[in-house]
Amino acid sequence: MIKISALEKVYRTEEVETVALNKLSFEVRDGEFVAVMGPSGCGKSTLLNILGLLDDPDAGSFLFNGIEVAHFNERKRADLRKHNIGFVFQSFNLIDELTVFENVELPLIYTGVKPAERKKRVEEVLDKVQIMHRRNHYPQQLSGGQQQRVAVARAVVNQPKLILADEPTGNLDSSNGNEVMQLLTDLNEQGTTIVMVTHSEHDARYSHRIIRMLDGQTVTENINSLL
Amino acid sequence: MLKNHLKIAWRNLMKYKFISFINLFGLTIGLTCCLLIATYIIHELSYDKYNTNASRIYRVTRSFTTTEGNISLHLGTVAPPIGPLLKHDFPDVEQQTTLLGMGTAPLRYEDKKFNESNVCFADENLSKVFTMHMVTGNIKSLAEPFSALLTEAQAQKYFGNTNPMNKMIRLSNQVNFKVAGIYKAFPSNAHMHPDILLSFASLNDSTLYGAKNLQTNWFNNSFFTYLLLPENYPVKQMEARFPAFLDAHAPRSSTGMMPSKISKLYLQPLTSIHLTSHLDSEAEENGDIKRVYIFSVIALFILLIACINYMNLSTARSTLRAKEIGIRKVVGASKKELLLQFLSESVLICWMSLLLACILLKLGMPWLSKISGTDLSIGMLLKWQVLVPVLLTPFIVGVLAGLYPALFMAAFQPVKTLKGLFKAGSKSISFRQVLVVAQFAISIILIITTLVVYSQLRYMEKKSLGFDKSQVVTIPWNIAIGNRFEAMRNDLLQQQSIKDVCRASRIPSGRLLDNSNAATVGDSIRPVNLELKYVVADYHFIPTFGITMAAGRNFSRDYGTDSTAFIVNESAAQMIGWKTPEKAIGQRFKYGSTIGTIVGVMHDFNFESLHQKIQPLILIPTDGTAQPFNRIAIKVTGASSATAIAQIQSVWKHYLPDEPFDYNFLDERFSQLYEAERRQQTIFTLFSCIAIFIASLGLLGLSAFTITQRIKEIGVRKVLGADTGSIVLMLSKDFLKLVAIAAVVAFPVAWYAMYQWLQAFAYRIGMPWYVFIIAGVLAGLVALVTVGVQAAKAAMNNPVKSLRSE
Repeated sequence: MIKISALEKVYRTEEVETVALNKLSFEVRDGEFVAVMGPSGCGKSTLLNILGLLDDPDAGSFLFNGIEVAHFNERKRADLRKHNIGFVFQSFNLIDELTVFENVELPLIYTGVKPAERKKRVEEVLDKVQIMHRRNHYPQQLSGGQQQRVAVARAVVNQPKLILADEPTGNLDSSNGNEVMQLLTDLNEQGTTIVMVTHSEHDARYSHRIIRMLDGQTVTENINSLL
Repeated sequence: MLKNHLKIAWRNLMKYKFISFINLFGLTIGLTCCLLIATYIIHELSYDKYNTNASRIYRVTRSFTTTEGNISLHLGTVAPPIGPLLKHDFPDVEQQTTLLGMGTAPLRYEDKKFNESNVCFADENLSKVFTMHMVTGNIKSLAEPFSALLTEAQAQKYFGNTNPMNKMIRLSNQVNFKVAGIYKAFPSNAHMHPDILLSFASLNDSTLYGAKNLQTNWFNNSFFTYLLLPENYPVKQMEARFPAFLDAHAPRSSTGMMPSKISKLYLQPLTSIHLTSHLDSEAEENGDIKRVYIFSVIALFILLIACINYMNLSTARSTLRAKEIGIRKVVGASKKELLLQFLSESVLICWMSLLLACILLKLGMPWLSKISGTDLSIGMLLKWQVLVPVLLTPFIVGVLAGLYPALFMAAFQPVKTLKGLFKAGSKSISFRQVLVVAQFAISIILIITTLVVYSQLRYMEKKSLGFDKSQVVTIPWNIAIGNRFEAMRNDLLQQQSIKDVCRASRIPSGRLLDNSNAATVGDSIRPVNLELKYVVADYHFIPTFGITMAAGRNFSRDYGTDSTAFIVNESAAQMIGWKTPEKAIGQRFKYGSTIGTIVGVMHDFNFESLHQKIQPLILIPTDGTAQPFNRIAIKVTGASSATAIAQIQSVWKHYLPDEPFDYNFLDERFSQLYEAERRQQTIFTLFSCIAIFIASLGLLGLSAFTITQRIKEIGVRKVLGADTGSIVLMLSKDFLKLVAIAAVVAFPVAWYAMYQWLQAFAYRIGMPWYVFIIAGVLAGLVALVTVGVQAAKAAMNNPVKSLRSE
């Protein structure tokens, strides 16, 4: 599904040049659940942004489903993104002015799904994350765990092939965190590829494979399923 | 998609109530001003267009030229032979109609008597040129001598509910006219409003004018003459043939000049009369295209200020919406979709504003009618040429105001906004500053214009005119007084409140339009090349108006020769070539056909409004045999004007029991000359207040926002020992700097605009420099108070609170 090779990303300010990704290469196959770990500033988030087509690399190759996307323009990236990728963030990132239902509905609106179909699919996915009863509430009225479940619902409502999760449990207590991890695992078992950035060894254990990064490079790759 | 856009737009509106209020309020006021002014402009532009043949009707006007070729007088009226001769000589002229205004004329039916000011002699062709509607009777009766047509209102006034047909009304207690019909009054957007039409054929009677005079008098240019020409007629070519036409018919001047050398004829399109014609004689006071431009600019200014508020507050607020934008981008929104979303927000708010503006428009319309002196109604807006642009306004304004914030926000990088790394860049702040500068520059320009207009008006009202205009009562001359004037004058002088009484062909506050040929008389008679205006006055003219003499004396009965004496003003004496006023005294002089002696030179005084320069003037004495009088002027004591009026009225009643008594005060007549400027001032004052108010509301929102952004900085500074004053200063300084820049931008613009405006006055103030300082300081104060109050509130907060909130 994803194949990156010799990916580079450098952040420049007037005085300092920070190498975020240093000739990084790896591959994620269809249906895999990969965790990316490493200390702060090792380039995890940069990697996730590039994988999510939110940012473009300075050099290197990024094949998404066999297509070179490293130098797609913004419009093409947005198009590819809305049909193929779902995001889950540490800080949930729900829109405060929209209800639970409307937040989840948003990706479907942008992909042009008809209203009746939207309603059906949003209700299905809200059911799946067990938040149907709060469909008309606003994000501020929900607990952290509930908000993250809504965020997961929003990420999967378009049935993306890939979910990118950026410390999905970082703002949650352990029981809520476990619930969210279970949700991701279920999705993965249904065939969705997941790449998750995390600090938590506990969460990483849900994945098939852990990529450890340091200074923009991979240092080790553990295969969980073999542990 | 649109539903989603509108939904979030509505929720955002509700969430940021204060900012929404400022936007909605500003745009509503801006749109209301625009709609109000649009109504006014539509009304002004609609003049005379109600005529079916409006585009084919032309007014014949006549100018007179000095020997140097300068136009000294341009009249909207021409001599009586011209109309019929034009119809005769130019076969393409389809119809021709002539009207003669009566000025003020007393009219009577039984015990009902009024001084009428809109009586006209008109011929039966009137309705073939203009669109008129008869209620009863036939317009053709204007072909019969001594018949009259009345408007419905006039018929009601004189005859109440009785049938007016075939009743006799009496003009100037001399001639009877038979009422032969009722017609619908000319609409308010007509350039003239005759409400009593007397048959033109009556003028053939020699007591009124005389048939011969109608055919041969080329010097009495007081006849309005209109032509109906074929569609798309080459008017310029017709005008080119006018000099030959004049030479063929009009007599040569007294000096033997060809008529085409001293006078010219023009064709003026009917529909251009109201806004662009400011000739020396007009049927009524016209509007002014410049006023239309000025008001349009003001309306657009106010709308622009409101739009700038929207742009400023939206971009400022965008930092709060950065996260939302990021999320939308992440879940697949394209830039186009985000643009559409933000534009639909601004269009929504504009729609709401438009609806509110329509309500305000309804409430504001009567008031605007009053201050603009026009008859306005919402009905004028109900035609597609107006409705379509009005309905498009929310889209245009919405896009105008919304595009910048939309582009600005849609360009946010999702990665940064979601990481909370987002800060409004320095570039955005500088553009916002430009907008604030623009707003304040507009406000400062409006303050300056208001103050300059005010100063000029005050100057005109306070300026010494060179004579005493106070405590002078004026009464229209009535032919019925006849040779009883001296007796009546003596009776008036018996009253203790009355100091002096005079009568004249024109009195100050009127125009000076009469002139004749002048010549110095020495060894030979040498013509003077000068437009010397004359006023026929009696011996009491000078003391009644308190005019002072530069040399010589007033007319006096003590000198038997004074019936051929002249008095000139200083300008005339100087232009004739007498070095000092004293040199003029005793000079022999020929004016018209009279040869006489200059006995006095008056100090110059402003006979006309201060728009006009003082003209050379000659007073021609009257022994009372000829009666070209127009008004009687009565100087009263200052004690009680009510008593004086009562005494004048009782004397009037004694001599003229059947004639209506009307009066006004000379200073009021002068004041009325500046009515247009006063209206302009009211509108300037009002709209500049509105502009400043909206601009300061915007500043309030913007500064509130800026201060919230800097709340942590304020906390840190306080912890480090800053006092409230220094923090207020720090926060206000930035905005004051913008006001200063705005002043620098506004000053030259305002100076130029007001310089141009002042050129319309022959007597005007110098550009008052202090007005610029007042405007700058005022704008600065408004900014300081707006920002300062909030800054003080923020600065007095407990710093612990603001630091914890981070």
